Amino acid sequence: MLEFWVRHRKYSLLLLVLLASLSLLAFHRTRPGEGLWLAEGVAAVTAPVQAVFAQMHRAAAGLWTGYLEWKALRADAERLRAEVTALRLRQLRQAELEAENRRLRALLAMRERLPTRTLGADVVAREWNGFTRGLTINRGRSDGVERLAPVIVTRGVVGRVADLRRTSAVIQLVTDPASSVGAVVSRSRVQGLAEGVAGGGLRLRLPAHEEGVAVGDAVSTSGMGGLFPKGVPLGRVTRIHPSTGLFRIADLEPAVDLATVEEVLVLPRGASGDFSTAFPDS
Amino acid sequence: MRLPLYFLAISGGTLAQSTVVPVLGVGGVVPDLPVILVVLLALRRGPEAGCLSGFALGLAQDAVVGGPLGLQALSKALIGFAAGQLPRWCLVSNPLVPISAAVLATLTDGVVRFAVLQLFQYPAAFTELFGGVILPQAGYNAVLVGLALTLPGVRART
Repeated sequence: MLEFWVRHRKYSLLLLVLLASLSLLAFHRTRPGEGLWLAEGVAAVTAPVQAVFAQMHRAAAGLWTGYLEWKALRADAERLRAEVTALRLRQLRQAELEAENRRLRALLAMRERLPTRTLGADVVAREWNGFTRGLTINRGRSDGVERLAPVIVTRGVVGRVADLRRTSAVIQLVTDPASSVGAVVSRSRVQGLAEGVAGGGLRLRLPAHEEGVAVGDAVSTSGMGGLFPKGVPLGRVTRIHPSTGLFRIADLEPAVDLATVEEVLVLPRGASGDFSTAFPDS
Repeated sequence: MRLPLYFLAISGGTLAQSTVVPVLGVGGVVPDLPVILVVLLALRRGPEAGCLSGFALGLAQDAVVGGPLGLQALSKALIGFAAGQLPRWCLVSNPLVPISAAVLATLTDGVVRFAVLQLFQYPAAFTELFGGVILPQAGYNAVLVGLALTLPGVRART
């Protein structure tokens, strides 16, 4: 008998195990609630370990939740940063448009005050080195622009058209070292020449004996020479040099900030008349 | 020599099933780690080891989870024995064998448990249980066995 069981060991084992399981089940079915000592014994061993695992799980879950929250916050921060950048850009664009609007309104208002026809133009390029100082505008021969035509803005003289192309024109600025404009000191009516300086400034050359100039005096075009009309502001006297030989030199601060000019008015070549009423602030 | 290892596998598998495995649930489906352990042990050690380890793992699960004692002991002892017979007919070094064995074992385990639970007026419908729990669990177990086979040593042992 024993030999039979040993020979069929695995089936014997299976039978034994099945019998044990079925006995447990039968016991559980016939007497529910009893025989839980095994479960209690196993639970006594496993419960503390389960508690540790549960704690570890909670800690891991907490870490994971924290990580997810941090990730969400970071995404929020990045989104908000992008929004702030976009808003700043929009604000800058708006401010730029407002400034342009103001400039154009002022230009339009002045255009209406001028006693001659004018042509508005945008500055599209700048030639800004120590040797030459010029601007390129988007109006040219096809727009009726003429060579040597004066170019002004609301604050005063910009320069004159030096080079003419079909759809564009190069303006020689009043601060160009080769530029020379007939000028008059508004207070004393003393006349001289406003010349560009190699460094980018403007100076007034007067006869040596002239005393009618002082720091702070406004200087405007005299209308002499026929290139610029009379009464367009050129600048203000900032310094007067002692007279040397035939001339007395006064430094001028240009009336127009030529580095920031964006829109200009082109006058007809040889425009004449007194423009001083169109520049009441100067 | 192997007894402590069996003990470790059984206690570790039981604890893992009640602590770590629930976290691995995907869409409400959790794997049955003891089934995987029983199948892998049985494929390597034969029907006797499979049967005994299945009985022990099942009994431990019964004790931990609650419910009729002997229920999982019976089902897992059966699948352990059956899986242990496979090396006689199949080349277990082929990864498809342990994966298929895990699927079949999970299905058998589920069906046997359901059948026995009928003695205890278990209320759930079989189709609902099979489609919603047993079948997805079999798939999950197959995936885990596939992953386990990529671990160094596991494939060589099966």
